[in-house]
Amino acid sequence: MADAEAGKKIFIQKCAQCHTVEKGGKHKTGPNLWGLFGRKTGQAPGFSYTEANKSKGIIWGEQTLMEYLENPKKYIPGTKMIFAGLKKKSEREDLIEYLKRATSS
Amino acid sequence: MEKREATMSSWNPERKQSLVGWDSHLSRIFFLLLLFVVSAQGVTPNPEACLVSSSVNGSSISCQPPAQIPKSLPADTIFLAVEFFNLTQLPADFLQGVPNLQELHLSSNRLENLSPKFLLPVPQLTVLDLTHNSLTRLPPGLFRVSAALCTLVLKENQLKFLEASWLHGLKALQHLDLSENQLQSLPPGLLENFTDLLTLDLSNNQLQTLPPDLLRGPLNLERLRLEGNRLQVLGERLLAPQPKLRYLFLNDNRLASVAAGAFRGLQKLDMLDLSNNLLTTVPTGLWTSLGKAARNLKDGFDISSNPWICDQNLADLYLWLVANEDKMFFRNHTRCAGPEALKGQMLLAVAESH
Repeated sequence: MADAEAGKKIFIQKCAQCHTVEKGGKHKTGPNLWGLFGRKTGQAPGFSYTEANKSKGIIWGEQTLMEYLENPKKYIPGTKMIFAGLKKKSEREDLIEYLKRATSS
Repeated sequence: MEKREATMSSWNPERKQSLVGWDSHLSRIFFLLLLFVVSAQGVTPNPEACLVSSSVNGSSISCQPPAQIPKSLPADTIFLAVEFFNLTQLPADFLQGVPNLQELHLSSNRLENLSPKFLLPVPQLTVLDLTHNSLTRLPPGLFRVSAALCTLVLKENQLKFLEASWLHGLKALQHLDLSENQLQSLPPGLLENFTDLLTLDLSNNQLQTLPPDLLRGPLNLERLRLEGNRLQVLGERLLAPQPKLRYLFLNDNRLASVAAGAFRGLQKLDMLDLSNNLLTTVPTGLWTSLGKAARNLKDGFDISSNPWICDQNLADLYLWLVANEDKMFFRNHTRCAGPEALKGQMLLAVAESH
């Protein structure tokens, strides 16, 4: 059972250096993630994505995020995101559960 | 922006299809269709070729197997990724001819040694990612001309020790990631010259102690990751040089003892993680500068998975917990290990009934 509380901690520890989640949150090294679910890759307004990310062409959701977050550079070759990935399935599930709630109203 | 694919031997635009034998009208339609398909978004790149894209700033080249590593690179390359190969060494003069390079991603190779001259051709480099290689050391003078380097990632290598001299030259460094190595100790003065350092990741090493002056040097360190080490004690002096520290991760260590003044100077701490340690008690006064009263810890704190002894010595902690419970992670996992009568009780419940 996915644990959003655990996911929040994972986000703060491993993602918050480069990303914010809240509506109107600033872009940092990576884009603000508000509105992520249901959106095509590379579409957060105002962020300068790599061509690779913009043209990946999938919609972000639970399945695609599970795959992406395991090994981002394999899923989007050419990405500039420096993140080796979360090997543990349960961690990815927890993080995605948190993101679902934190990036939408 | 234009997206092209390139093969190893040349950087010419993709060759046009040979249409010998087709009716010229049909072949024109076919060619236009091909052009349309190729220029549309979402085209699956040919995995045999490096990904190349161009912008006004320069070219970006990204190579993964089965693509071949190119023998030469466009002179305006600003981004280069060569990842998931099994390279133990880089070709000599690998970066010759790309003086504007800003980002170099070399993760998931098997690099054992770097030439001391390897970065001399790229003085504008801002990002170097060496995650998941086999480095045991760095050559002296490696970063001699790397005054622009902002982000250095050495995560998941085989560093057993560090010499401060290896990092000389990194005047602008903001993000240093040394996580997932085998570091047992750190040299004194490691961060002395890193005035701009914002994040330091030392997580998942084998550190038993830290030099007390470790954090002297940076003017505004924001994030410190020390989780997954073998630290036993958090001393009074460690955090003193960084009153503006915002995120402190000390979880998954062997902390049995925290000095009463350890957090004294921290004015802006947003998150504190002490979970999964060996804490049975904490000294009175430890929490004075944290939480609601100080208007920090807005992202929370975690003291779960410790063998708390719920006796009078925790009176100070109980008061603080009740005042700050809305910021507490994993209340269900924050329990008393003793005394016998309270074993298994939630710490928060004991605090509330105190």
